[in-house]
Amino acid sequence: MLDQSVLRELEESTGDDPAFVRDLIETYLADVPLQLKGIEGAIAADDSDALIRPAHTLKSSSATLGAMRLADISRTLEMTGRSGTLDATTRENANVARAEWSNVRDALNNWLGATQTDE
Amino acid sequence: MSDRGTALVVDDSSVNRLLLVRRLETLGLGVLQAENGVEGLSVLSANPGVIDVVLLDVVMPELDGYQTLAAMKADDAMRHIPVLVVSSVEELDSVVRCIELGATDYLTKPINPSILAARIDASLAAKRLHDLEQESFERQTALNRTIQRQKEELSRFLSPQVAALVSSPEGEQLLAGHRREITVAFCDLRGFTHFAEQSDPEEIFGVLAEYHRMMGEAIIEHGGTLEHFAGDGVMIFFNDPVPQDDHVERAVRMAVAMRTRFTELANVWHHRGYELGFGVGIAVGYATLGRIGYDGRHDYGAIGNVTILASRLSSQAQAGQILLSPRAQMMIEGIIEAEDVGELTLKGLTRPVQATNVVALR
Repeated sequence: MLDQSVLRELEESTGDDPAFVRDLIETYLADVPLQLKGIEGAIAADDSDALIRPAHTLKSSSATLGAMRLADISRTLEMTGRSGTLDATTRENANVARAEWSNVRDALNNWLGATQTDE
Repeated sequence: MSDRGTALVVDDSSVNRLLLVRRLETLGLGVLQAENGVEGLSVLSANPGVIDVVLLDVVMPELDGYQTLAAMKADDAMRHIPVLVVSSVEELDSVVRCIELGATDYLTKPINPSILAARIDASLAAKRLHDLEQESFERQTALNRTIQRQKEELSRFLSPQVAALVSSPEGEQLLAGHRREITVAFCDLRGFTHFAEQSDPEEIFGVLAEYHRMMGEAIIEHGGTLEHFAGDGVMIFFNDPVPQDDHVERAVRMAVAMRTRFTELANVWHHRGYELGFGVGIAVGYATLGRIGYDGRHDYGAIGNVTILASRLSSQAQAGQILLSPRAQMMIEGIIEAEDVGELTLKGLTRPVQATNVVALR
């Protein structure tokens, strides 16, 4: 669910500054619930256009932090939005995304806790 | 903002924005940020001349990447700023569209720091080149304005033909000196020395100003080249630097027009107690024309017997007379009513000259 090497690379390429990566993670943790809500709202309203943007944002920020599975599901959702038709599978994918999100959140919180104790 | 330049990041995802800002700062750039296209455009217009490169996300609320790009390209103040489109790999179609809309290049997410550094270097170099071109264009424009102003000033001090000559491509050659047949008209006032002795400088200048204005109008109307004003004496020539087939006729018509207008002026002056008369000498012949003078002060002048002859005829002319040299008279016989004034002995000329007065135009 979380590719730790991505986070380590991020840390190295931004000047070995754990505080910055923590900032990034905290921003992500605060943002994802908004995007999930956006995705679920769009599906509930059967509005494929409204699905594109939150799925897109969730896809790229998840990929940035190494949450590859969440990024993949978000990509699928974004594609569905662009295709113009939502169905039962779409709803299912949204549920998978929310479930994956709780795994990612735990993993990231662990990571935060671990780096906290490192200092 | 920073020595290397300033970037504007336009992205609605706060995670991506945060990371991109950090990466750009690591590259030594100052960074401004916006959450969507509308904000991005307002940051651009609020910071004219500050932003050197824009990193633009495609999928955004309010105004998306395409619309933002189109708005930038439609704005003279933003058109030249390089735009790097930031997109995901699946969006390569939209990248093509962005490049068509004028984007400089693109970056795929997640952003590879080395590729980012290379794209930024290229964009900043392009922007610097553009800025240098702009500066040089502005300098050129300022220079052109100065040259234009100089030309205008020049045409106030010189006769318009000579001013045009100075700024023309073949000017140097003509200024260097050339020989040509010209008609010279020399005009001066009878009774001016006496008037000048009796009058205040203000009165003298006033009379000269009215006289010169009247002369100047007639010179321009007939296409004459003013060589110089010297107090009451004025020398004008024709057929140079602009060739004129009818140069003798032009000179005579000008002199007749001046004489008519002078009568009106003389009447006004008579009422103020000034008695002034107007005399003209006209001669035709070859002269050497070009730049005469010394470093720092040159005139465009004519040198030859023809100028001396015109000047001597003028000084022999009674008030109201327009005296022609024999050649000038022969060349325009058909258009004037003339009277023979006999042989005149002119200062500096060994043989007497048969002169003719122009009574009227036919």
